[in-house]
Amino acid sequence: MKPAAEKELIDLVVGWVKQNGLNGSSHAEISGNTNLLESGLLDSFAFVDLILFIENCTHKKLDLIDADPEEFTVVKNLCHLALRNGH
Amino acid sequence: MTKNNSFRSLASAFLESVELFPDRTALVVDNASLSYSQLCRSVSQIALAIHQNEQRAYPLAAVWAHRSQTAYAGILGCLTVGKGYVPLNPKFPLERTSRMLALSGCTTLIVGKECLPQLSGLLQAANRSLTVILPEITALEFLASDNPLHRFVFPGQLTSGEDFSLLQASGPDSPAYLLFTSGSTGVPKGVLITQGNVRAYVDYICERYEVDEHDRFSQQFDLTFDLSAHDKFVCWERGAALYCVPEKSVMAPAKFIRDHQLTMWFSVPSVAGLLSKMRLLFPNCFPSLRCSLFCGEPLPAAYAQSWQEAAPNSIVENLYGPTEATIAIAHYRWDSERSPQESLNGIVPIGQVFQGQHCRIVDSHGKSVRAGEAGELCLSGSQVATGYWNEPAKTQQQFVHLPGSGELLWYRTGDLVKQDAAGNLCYLARMDQQVKIRGYRVELQEIEAVLRRACGTDQVVSLPWPVNNGSAEGVVAFVSGVKTLDRDRVLTSCSDVLPEYMVPKKIYLLDELPLNPNQKIDRGKLACLLQGAA
Repeated sequence: MKPAAEKELIDLVVGWVKQNGLNGSSHAEISGNTNLLESGLLDSFAFVDLILFIENCTHKKLDLIDADPEEFTVVKNLCHLALRNGH
Repeated sequence: MTKNNSFRSLASAFLESVELFPDRTALVVDNASLSYSQLCRSVSQIALAIHQNEQRAYPLAAVWAHRSQTAYAGILGCLTVGKGYVPLNPKFPLERTSRMLALSGCTTLIVGKECLPQLSGLLQAANRSLTVILPEITALEFLASDNPLHRFVFPGQLTSGEDFSLLQASGPDSPAYLLFTSGSTGVPKGVLITQGNVRAYVDYICERYEVDEHDRFSQQFDLTFDLSAHDKFVCWERGAALYCVPEKSVMAPAKFIRDHQLTMWFSVPSVAGLLSKMRLLFPNCFPSLRCSLFCGEPLPAAYAQSWQEAAPNSIVENLYGPTEATIAIAHYRWDSERSPQESLNGIVPIGQVFQGQHCRIVDSHGKSVRAGEAGELCLSGSQVATGYWNEPAKTQQQFVHLPGSGELLWYRTGDLVKQDAAGNLCYLARMDQQVKIRGYRVELQEIEAVLRRACGTDQVVSLPWPVNNGSAEGVVAFVSGVKTLDRDRVLTSCSDVLPEYMVPKKIYLLDELPLNPNQKIDRGKLACLLQGAA
């Protein structure tokens, strides 16, 4: 996994959330440490859409089977997972 | 109220499990596991605090807590002293919570530590003196000094919890809980469910699913959702363990089910849909489950089959029931061979009403329709409430006598159904503007009332959107009659008073709202606009 790729993916995810997130997301401060559900930026359905977006970006299937939802709902953790264990 | 000492109340059932299984796990919440005797100690502390500090005798007490020990001990504490509980939700806007508290008339409020950031706001908005019990919050001097109207009970004032003699007799007419649902007039509507209503439900369910002390129940629903009553009371009735799904796992609870080897699952069907989309629902991923129940919104046949394959050792059932009929009152068991054919438009039937409960499908005059014809589903029986909280007009409208059924009171559900050749009830549609969003019951008029105020125009419409497999994922709004719209301000106004699931995801400004030939707003055309934009 390349750190540059992860940083790039985080930027893409932040951009996607700003564009497609719920109320006020376009003005929200979103960083790698933002929890997307807890912050109210995404609901569960939008989160699934985000996963599809990430898979399109990485050309890998995201494997969340053993991942803890507490972790993968945070931007940088999700991106880390997407680049680490996707296949 | 009826006093009947032989009646098995919810609290006495819990205390019996305490006696039978003191060391078995009763509750796992917030990373802590509590045995029946440990939970009972917390319950007893709260019950005594209510008993000693309430300012006037009142049949209800409010519990403002969320997925914490206080939430569960608080509910049992209320029931132990013979009071029904009124669940309040810290995820709801403060204004809504404040209104629910006021409508309930409660003067006792049990508060979890997770509500502390909002507590001052709620207390300042309260229009009467409250006794505030805070079992997990160390004494905060400022609370008492800032709020001289209210009385506070902190942990240091609680007893050791050894006193179990507080159990107050509750009869079948005693309140079990008061829940508020979305109201078409813009004000939440209260439904009072009695101990007798819940007793009928719990007895039937425990027998049907052969619940015992080895079971491990999911607790996925928020306490303001009536389906949460199933998890708690069915579980504790037989000495089983209740596993509260942490907030962050509610969306994708697959790992939680596996980690805790749950045996009993209950959720809205949307959860199965989400797990499926995230590829977390695959064959044999939940071998520990023996009973999987879905309720709250239409169950797509595809989800039922996927879940059946994921949980091959489990029965899969679709439950149906409005809040007014206590959790659920009809069921249909999924059968991989037979059920796909019995499903109507890809939606699993709601099946047959529980033994001992009654249903009728009626026309607009209240007369039973002919076999196979569509009509409104009406319900009656020991699970069905008798009316709305302090709303006689609304009660008269929905709780009625039907021709030829004597004095029997029937609840008109507003659900359009028909009975198939096999005798299964099949849900067709709503007869009004009530919708289900992720299982939550929502009156679109309530959203529109808020939008009208926020937009400064009467020309507003809200629509459930998107709708997939019969389930709405959210709501969007259309506004006309104004030249410009500050969407962020409008959405903020909505968020101030509506729960998250009722806040429109998008607001569209139109030159004019489309009308149908009857000069009514053409919701179908608006849905087409959305379809085109998608």
